[in-house]
Amino acid sequence: MPLSGINPIPEGNLNWVFGLLELLEDRGGREDGYKIARDLNIKFDDVLRVMKIAEILGLVSTPAGDVVLEPLGKQFLDSDVNQRKLMIREQLRNHGLFSYLIRLLKAQEDKSLSKEVVLEHLAMLLPHELPERQFTRIVSWGRFAELFGYNKDSDRFYLDQE
Amino acid sequence: MPLLELTHISKHYPHAKGSLRVIEDISFSVNEGEFVAIVGPSGCGKSTLLRIINGIVPLSSGQVLYRGRQVDGINLECALVFQSFALMPWLTVDDNIEMPLEALGIPPAERRRRASLYIDKVGLDGFEEAYPRELSGGMKQRVGLARALAVEPKVLLMDEPFSALDALTAISLREETLDIWQAPDSPVHTILLVTHIIEEAIELADRVLVISAGPGRLLADLRIELPRPRDRRSDGFNAFTDKVFSLIEERS
Repeated sequence: MPLSGINPIPEGNLNWVFGLLELLEDRGGREDGYKIARDLNIKFDDVLRVMKIAEILGLVSTPAGDVVLEPLGKQFLDSDVNQRKLMIREQLRNHGLFSYLIRLLKAQEDKSLSKEVVLEHLAMLLPHELPERQFTRIVSWGRFAELFGYNKDSDRFYLDQE
Repeated sequence: MPLLELTHISKHYPHAKGSLRVIEDISFSVNEGEFVAIVGPSGCGKSTLLRIINGIVPLSSGQVLYRGRQVDGINLECALVFQSFALMPWLTVDDNIEMPLEALGIPPAERRRRASLYIDKVGLDGFEEAYPRELSGGMKQRVGLARALAVEPKVLLMDEPFSALDALTAISLREETLDIWQAPDSPVHTILLVTHIIEEAIELADRVLVISAGPGRLLADLRIELPRPRDRRSDGFNAFTDKVFSLIEERS
């Protein structure tokens, strides 16, 4: 059983979320997920994924197959790219997996860990997910939100402290 | 005086039976601050045209003037953004952006200042030490954009910059390209974008140049008088799409 409140990171990148929100704005703040897939000629699975990511970040809600822009999503659209990153940072701080990793890194003397150790934690926390894949997504989202960094050459996963 | 002025540009390549005509007698000018899109089917020489403006491809006849003067060799005031991103896989994001600056002989401290400034402008903070293969297509093109901006060019030449991206990522990067073009503190306020996607040209540009295929000839120079942000589903937008489409179709 995974620890309560710790959910895996779905596949997909955060640029998709930006695109989804711009599209919603053009369409008055609400659209059918199926229509988005059809109009953009992309797979419905991909639309469901980006809807899920945007929902995790609190930017949209997804009642009955629709995507609806939430107030935070509207604020997001009115912000520049760096303000958007800050908003994602704040949302991810409260995400179970991210907050676990933040606590874990803070407990280290040099605020960093090797990838191997992170993979072990991921394997324990999310037994149904491939740790390597989760790690890649965490690094990508973490870099975007400037929460985590990862230096491949020195193999350090670390807390990004501004 | 226009920023760029192309007069009677032709480009021919030597060929077994005479010569292959890629571009035939194209003339147009671009004013400072304009966003101009060049659309046409594949093989119309539109990418070659960008490279002629930049100076990396020599022209066969005609003249390119920049601020009224002919440029010998490569015009360093024009920076290219490529469809393939053209990043060096063995360099980090930071080094990919600094590399062309080093090639231009810019001192290390200034290289670092510019890299960090444009990394910030395109939303790449946090990715400085990532390698290209760790990045999604959208992030790779942000690196391509930051690298071009860091040269602090006067003209951004974008060659199908969104064509290798998925539809959602392309929406977000188009939007951010408009933001860069409109931001008062941006180094570059003039953009030439080559695309085969008609809607993309009409959504972004002040003017759309329509080019025919084989050889490339200028069919029309349309001013897109639609308010921004542009709604792709509006009647005005559709009227322009139909017009460009029929211009290209008549010639192919």
